Amino acid sequence: MKTQTKLAIILGFLSTTLVVVFGISVYYFLDKYSYVDFYKRLEARVSIATQYSLNSGTLNAKYLKSLREQHLEALEKEKEYLIEVSPKTSFQEIAQKNNLPVNFLISLSKVGTYNEKQGNLFIAGSHYKKGNKRYFVIVSAENYYVSNHLIFLRTVLIGGISMVILIVAIFSFYFSKHIFDPIKDITDKVKQISTENIHLRLENNINKSIEISELTNTFNELLNRIETAFEIQKNFISNASHELGTPLTTIIGEADFSLLKPRSSEEYTIAIKNILQQAERLNEITKSLLFLAQTGYKGKAITFEMVRIDEVIWQTKSLIDKLNPNNKILVDLRLLPEDPKKLKVNGIQQLLHLAFANILNNACKYSNNKPVTVHIASSNSQVIIIVEDQGIGIPESEIDFIYDPFFRASNTNLFEGHGIGLPLTRNIVSLHKGDLIVSSQVNIGTKVQIRIPLIKI
Amino acid sequence: MTKTILVPIDFSVASLNTLKIALEPYSEEPIEVILMYSEYLDDSITELLFHTSNKTVSNLITPDFKDALEIIINRFDGKIKCLHIETFHGHNQNALRTFLEANHVDEIYIPSNYQLKTPKKTFSPIPLIRKSNYHIIEVNIETDFELTIQEQIFSLFN
Repeated sequence: MKTQTKLAIILGFLSTTLVVVFGISVYYFLDKYSYVDFYKRLEARVSIATQYSLNSGTLNAKYLKSLREQHLEALEKEKEYLIEVSPKTSFQEIAQKNNLPVNFLISLSKVGTYNEKQGNLFIAGSHYKKGNKRYFVIVSAENYYVSNHLIFLRTVLIGGISMVILIVAIFSFYFSKHIFDPIKDITDKVKQISTENIHLRLENNINKSIEISELTNTFNELLNRIETAFEIQKNFISNASHELGTPLTTIIGEADFSLLKPRSSEEYTIAIKNILQQAERLNEITKSLLFLAQTGYKGKAITFEMVRIDEVIWQTKSLIDKLNPNNKILVDLRLLPEDPKKLKVNGIQQLLHLAFANILNNACKYSNNKPVTVHIASSNSQVIIIVEDQGIGIPESEIDFIYDPFFRASNTNLFEGHGIGLPLTRNIVSLHKGDLIVSSQVNIGTKVQIRIPLIKI
Repeated sequence: MTKTILVPIDFSVASLNTLKIALEPYSEEPIEVILMYSEYLDDSITELLFHTSNKTVSNLITPDFKDALEIIINRFDGKIKCLHIETFHGHNQNALRTFLEANHVDEIYIPSNYQLKTPKKTFSPIPLIRKSNYHIIEVNIETDFELTIQEQIFSLFN
């Protein structure tokens, strides 16, 4: 069943039950109360009747009677009985004579005072002794209130409840249909994202409710992670095939060349030495690839840990020193915070390493090994790393596209690259909930600002 | 003994460079820093009635300025004993002298080649400071190009 229908039914059922219970209880208690009240009125009449019937002839009785006639409202079909009970006459006879129920008379004689309802007729009675005579004083009347007002109340309640049910039904249907609209939107948008356009993200509208924007954020973070993994793989494959391809080409070329015609043993030695050198390089690359596979991605879940940013930068620098000994990377520590806690972030060391290596490599590559400065500083909430180079820069009109995978700026034809590094770096930074800001001027240089939130201790 | 230094600012990151350079030569002695922002007081009585310098300051602090200030404080954590931002409203020597005496200022650092930005209702206190016979140290800060808001923080890293 759709959650939508479920919600509508639950909502409708709940409100209907509440209203029905409310209506029934109102009716029930009012009904009960009207009986109690009416019996009290009848009892009052019985006691007054007793007073003037049993003491008839006295002045007191006369006054009481006139008082009763003048001031007590005559009830619907009110009848008053004064019955003398003698042991000779049976209750059946009395009942038949006065048109009263027999059971009532029997109960009355046992209890003393007794009330009963016979259809619409309410009967109240009392049982007295005067001298050696026994009397029943009985008053019977119909309850106008019950027969009319309560029926009216019932009609009103039934009408009201059915109106409420109708409104609740309409409302719960409408409500359940529209409360899921944002979720439906998200579903539609997520459906559009595939491997082709994995860089797309869901729009996060601040006006939406917190739950929805959390859901959107979660989806976007998930997409970030997927995209990062995706591009790491792409990057890896293209790098690996390039790295493996170069020595192989050399080996093939060298062997081909040697086989063209018979050569002297010196020439063969040189050729074989070259081949050996390239084969060794190939071996080294394969080994390091294997090592990378063993250490980096064991299939374990990547866990965030405490990482010191300056350490990562030093490691990256030493890696780049090995790969590209001509680089001129300067690490500026003039604004390094005194407190080492202000350099610790919650992150994945390998990924951060990869991100900084990308940025620094780009800085060296596109500036032809001119000096590159890395500034490290930290505010109270973020570590700020700024990488400044004096390279070719990025044309202003193209700066919006630099995060698109495989995009390369128009002035980069002379440099080797795949257009994967920067999107990858941005994904890594956003995985760490940080910001990556690139600003650049053509032929003057590029400044890359990375801000990563500090770990909360 | 705590030393009090005063640096005029205009709430731009560039003006904080003076503070950065000023703090560098000090060894471990504790320093009290006063950042002075100069503006003319409003003439309107209602404005004056509700004027508080805290409100002025908190309205003017930009996120970048805040970050830059925090960077400097983190850098010189051991040296800075306390740092506060004061507004200065006077425009003559006496007012400046009173301000400096009230705050027990020992040294004033002013940028030698940077013009403080003076938008409406504000003024640069540097000419006044130059004329006073206080202990003034001029520092040379580099501000080579105009920066957008997003890039302002870069000026701290020159």
